[in-house]
Amino acid sequence: MTAGLAPRVLRFSLLPLALLALWQGVTAAGWTDLREFPAPATVFARALGEWQSGVLPEALLASLARDLAGFALGAAAGIPLGLTLGLSPWFGRLVGPTFDSFKQIAIFAWIPLFGLWFGMGESAKVVFIATAAFVPITVNAWAGARALPQTLEEATAVLRFSPWQRLIWARLPAALPDIVAGLRVGLINAWLATVGAEYFMSVAPGLGSVLISGRDLYAMDLVLVGVLVLGLTGVALDTVASRLGAILIRWQ
Amino acid sequence: MAATALEIRDLSKSYVVNGAPLPVLAGISLDVAPGEFVSVVGASGCGKSTLLRLIVGLEQEHDGRLAYDGRPIDGPGRERAIVFQEHRLFPWLTAVQNVEAGLARSDLGKSERRRIALEHLALVGLSNFAEALPKQLSGGMAQRVAIARALVSRPGLLLLDEPFGALDALTRSHLQREVLRIVRQEGLSAIIVTHDVDEAILLGDRVVVMQPHPGRIAEVIVEEEGPAREPGTPEAVALRRRILHRLGED
Amino acid sequence: MTSTTSAVDLPLPSGAVARPRRLFLPHPRRLLPVLEGLVLPAVLLGAWALTSHQGWLPAQILPGPGSVLDAFRELLASGELGDHIRASLSRVILGFALGGGLGLLLGVAMGVSRAASEIIEPVFVWFAQVPPIALAPLLILLVGIDEALKVLIVAKAAMIPLAVNTAEGVRNVPRQWREVGRVFGFSPARTVFGLVLPAALPTVFSGVRTGLTHAWLTLVAVELIASTEGLGYLMVWGRQLFQLEFVLLSVVVIALIGFALDRGLNRIEARIGAWR
Repeated sequence: MTAGLAPRVLRFSLLPLALLALWQGVTAAGWTDLREFPAPATVFARALGEWQSGVLPEALLASLARDLAGFALGAAAGIPLGLTLGLSPWFGRLVGPTFDSFKQIAIFAWIPLFGLWFGMGESAKVVFIATAAFVPITVNAWAGARALPQTLEEATAVLRFSPWQRLIWARLPAALPDIVAGLRVGLINAWLATVGAEYFMSVAPGLGSVLISGRDLYAMDLVLVGVLVLGLTGVALDTVASRLGAILIRWQ
Repeated sequence: MAATALEIRDLSKSYVVNGAPLPVLAGISLDVAPGEFVSVVGASGCGKSTLLRLIVGLEQEHDGRLAYDGRPIDGPGRERAIVFQEHRLFPWLTAVQNVEAGLARSDLGKSERRRIALEHLALVGLSNFAEALPKQLSGGMAQRVAIARALVSRPGLLLLDEPFGALDALTRSHLQREVLRIVRQEGLSAIIVTHDVDEAILLGDRVVVMQPHPGRIAEVIVEEEGPAREPGTPEAVALRRRILHRLGED
Repeated sequence: MTSTTSAVDLPLPSGAVARPRRLFLPHPRRLLPVLEGLVLPAVLLGAWALTSHQGWLPAQILPGPGSVLDAFRELLASGELGDHIRASLSRVILGFALGGGLGLLLGVAMGVSRAASEIIEPVFVWFAQVPPIALAPLLILLVGIDEALKVLIVAKAAMIPLAVNTAEGVRNVPRQWREVGRVFGFSPARTVFGLVLPAALPTVFSGVRTGLTHAWLTLVAVELIASTEGLGYLMVWGRQLFQLEFVLLSVVVIALIGFALDRGLNRIEARIGAWR
């Protein structure tokens, strides 16, 4: 398979290089409409400059900290809620329909309300991010708690598991793939919400404010740096999440 | 020891279909002696699987008497184990952990459980696969683990619900003889439900022939020890013809 | 289909059939789960009404259910609510059609050709992780703050799930079926339209559903940025005037439309995926 490696590397880098060339060409041609559009070199120089001056690392760390705080809060609320919804039929009937209605509210619709209810500071942002992560995590944990197939349910009955054994040995492991999938979606949602929170709510250090200041200063290169870093950070978060998840459910 | 391990007396069972009761089992009476191997053979839909599910205690509502060791059956119990058609192993547990799951209700210590589970894996010839996950096992191997899991709690009665139906012919033939050996060696009573007449003849001390709509016993055939049970012998062929003839009636 | 009609096949482990007694239970039993589900909303509604009635929270923080209802009547009578909903829906449909179409094409390319997917993926994976909203500052500089901005951002949100699902659906058409096509000498067109697409359809459609959901979520965000009509604008407007009943009303309407979209597509999806 090593023979196929070189063409593969070529293929992987083909589109990025082509886009880069297009970008360079467009800016070099100097079309009037796109005069404000910076050349690739300008953007990379800007990225390097912002990184070395410490602005970019600081913004990245601030956004990540906010993201993970919200995600942790959402997971801490969502996993127990989802599991209880699925494991207790009574609780599921009582609370399930309410949660199902709640999850229909588009996440960004909360922004005007949360700003008012939780103040303009950090807590409103974290609550907003937590809500974004909470919904898919709960939905998946709920589905997971009901994921034990009837056949294995009967196997636990025949083996005369106690209710506790049934939970620990069968229900929870059966729920794990769904929980992991929910956490992964939750992490993506939290990252989306982090940007949204920084963009729409009060100004605070973070990648969102890098975007905003770029827009306000008409500094397109800064905006592009922000977009690039946001995407790459999202990829990194998702990769870490999927690796960790795969370790947790190796038996699949 | 009682002369009867399992006692089935005038057992009937109906489901409700479109608001009307539909009988699936009617007037089943059958005693299984300690150490006896009984084959139940019938076409699909004759209620033979329902019969096993009642005996193991997965289903409980019925008319008539159903008792093991003189005590009415009111749910799953240690003394009655089952192997399903699908292996139903827990995919997140290794083979040996799956066998240990059969000891869920015992007060044995951890190492003791592991020892007994390994012993039973050895009994089904899978000592080398203790740490394998179900997805890494072939169908036949997975079914062996399921058999070990059923046996590990030392039941008195082993129930087999078409356990070899999903296996290839060669594997099936191996496993049939192995189950027979284990049942004899451990002195168990056993009931196998199957639609494979040759399998019923090979394994059973008696063959119970069932007919559908509603499921009922058409005939109970007592088998001689010896060549009559070996597939291909004239006796077995005659017996096979007789059973198939019975199954053809309705 | 209910358990009563599926009980004909007898030797089965279905839980619903295993407990036939349930069917004999009197009628109120079936109503009970519905009633139980209404307990919590009723309690919450009561607490909300009580809070605003007693003046525990100022109306600028949490207006009572009555004033939300009044806001609803007012906007309905003046026709404004209908206008806002129409504006939002038309943006979603336009953005979804644009992004969804593009996603479909990308997905087919990635699904059919391994080379194409290796070429597209490096950029695609990165682009997929860029939050749609993060494109706003960039697009504002490029296309201004008018409709194009909103439609493009919504299109980005809708494109990703459609591309991912289409690629997966096309990639996972069972080999056995492809072989059937080969045995019968299907033409390339017949292979695509008669075999690959029908087989991939359920997966593709779940991408349609996710894409539309994402489009709707993103639209609300986009309308918070800059607009003069639409449900997001209604929220911003209510928030600026500290008339929170309009914000709450928008929240409810947004949820209801999201629910209707999801439910409708769910129905269609169930029909499409019936053979699975």
